[in-house]
Amino acid sequence: MDAGGGAGEQLSLSAVRDQLIREEDSIVFALIERAKRPRNAPAYSAACGGGSLAEFFVREAEAVYAKAGHYQKPEDVPFFPQDLPPPLFPTKGYPKVLHPSASRVCVNDAIWKMYFDELLPLFTANGDDGNYAETVALDFACLQALSRRIHCGKYVAEVKFKDSPQDYSPPIHAKDNNALMNLLTFKAVEEKVKQRVEKKARIFGQNVTLEEDSVNKQDGNACDSECKVDPKVLSKLYDLWVMPLTKDVEVEYLLQRLD
Amino acid sequence: MAAHSVYSYLLLCNAITLLLVSPCCVGLGLDTVRDFLTREEDTIVFSLIERAKHPLNLPAYEEHAWFGPDGRRHNDSFAELFVRESEQIQAKAGRYQSQEEIPFFHSRVPFTLAPPYNFTTDLYPGAASVNVNDVIWGIYFNELLPLLAKNGDDGNYAVTAASDLACLQALSRRINYGRYVAEVKFRGDQQRYTALIGSKNKDALMKLLTSEAQEDVVKRRVEKKAMVLGQDITLDGPTETGDTNSGQSSFKVAPSVVYKLYDQWVIPLTKNVEVDYLLHRLD
Repeated sequence: MDAGGGAGEQLSLSAVRDQLIREEDSIVFALIERAKRPRNAPAYSAACGGGSLAEFFVREAEAVYAKAGHYQKPEDVPFFPQDLPPPLFPTKGYPKVLHPSASRVCVNDAIWKMYFDELLPLFTANGDDGNYAETVALDFACLQALSRRIHCGKYVAEVKFKDSPQDYSPPIHAKDNNALMNLLTFKAVEEKVKQRVEKKARIFGQNVTLEEDSVNKQDGNACDSECKVDPKVLSKLYDLWVMPLTKDVEVEYLLQRLD
Repeated sequence: MAAHSVYSYLLLCNAITLLLVSPCCVGLGLDTVRDFLTREEDTIVFSLIERAKHPLNLPAYEEHAWFGPDGRRHNDSFAELFVRESEQIQAKAGRYQSQEEIPFFHSRVPFTLAPPYNFTTDLYPGAASVNVNDVIWGIYFNELLPLLAKNGDDGNYAVTAASDLACLQALSRRINYGRYVAEVKFRGDQQRYTALIGSKNKDALMKLLTSEAQEDVVKRRVEKKAMVLGQDITLDGPTETGDTNSGQSSFKVAPSVVYKLYDQWVIPLTKNVEVDYLLHRLD
């Protein structure tokens, strides 16, 4: 994670925020690309004797990533961790800035369910164009981007804890989830995040042409119905799922922080 | 309307419908081709932006020795291994059943797990497999990547290779779509094309396929997309990149690089595919 910096560099709130902001672009791009294809429901129904094509693809793709040395960093968490092969080549080390229990914190089951059951119907058109392989590859890209952003909550939690351990230690000792959640929640910041990610969807999802009047569109005044993904879907995604799940990760991390 | 004229009217409608909707031509036309290519521009720009998130990460492209499950020694770069294995999975998932997709490495897959689907076959069978993936591979790693990514090594080799794959697939799909462009143009002017194909006149074919005005529009539009899609978006009013005089460094990918990509490689290679396809069109 770039927020971890080079060897010896300390974790900082601004580096973590920068990383989260950059992840917004990745998430918006991934959803825009997925929206190129219609729902393609057959990709998600259980095939005879096994799971869906989506599940098959993610399992197999994660095995390739694992062989390539992925899943070492705290924000890279597999959806199917059992029986992942070891890295084929030696991997570059990275600075360990988190408590060792960070590797146990994982909300991927919730992300998977949210993505397929709630999010996909909101931004993909009905229909079937047969491109199931590409569809599930695009789903994987969305899942990875969402999982990475949400599990960055581990860094957020560490930075906040280090900043004021005296505030966090009592609720951690008392295992008081609600108190921790309150400490971690800043409505003003969350509102800004929602607005910004909605603006990104409006700008990145617009139809860019060479016409002069599209200068306006750079400021995000494009009509929402022309956007490849409805910007309101992005603010809903962040409001209902991304930010709450990130805070779940933060709370889960903090509860083990003093072990 | 009198019964007789209603009947004639319906007959006329049917005749027109039959002319417009022949089985092999449904869906493929100059408009659909242009729409496809235009949408692919966004895909290409997004994939370049995502690759530029990471530095060059040269170790991902160095060859390593490794041992396969059969005990045999292999010599591959990270990136090549990643692409091969990823394509194998995608083949099992049925990706290459669609004529639009052509893999960089051929893998023999006895069957796919994909649910069955009746893909249309718009291309002439004898020319459908024409492609320039080898050239695209070389250009991407040797010419484009150094322009795209900053020097450095962040150790994220898997994500780097995955980003490379996304760029390669987007470029491959766009450039090899020249087959569809050629098919549409051929159908639109069969007599002229047949004569040139018969005499294997590559230069004349290339000339017929080239519209500099159209190419200029494409290049300028994709450059603009790099500016719009690669800008840093904040909540504080118009972004600094709204000013056309601002430096190229405020964009995630330099728009001039994207312009160059289309000018020197994407458009010329697409036309090479078009010519190659046409030369096989009457086989």
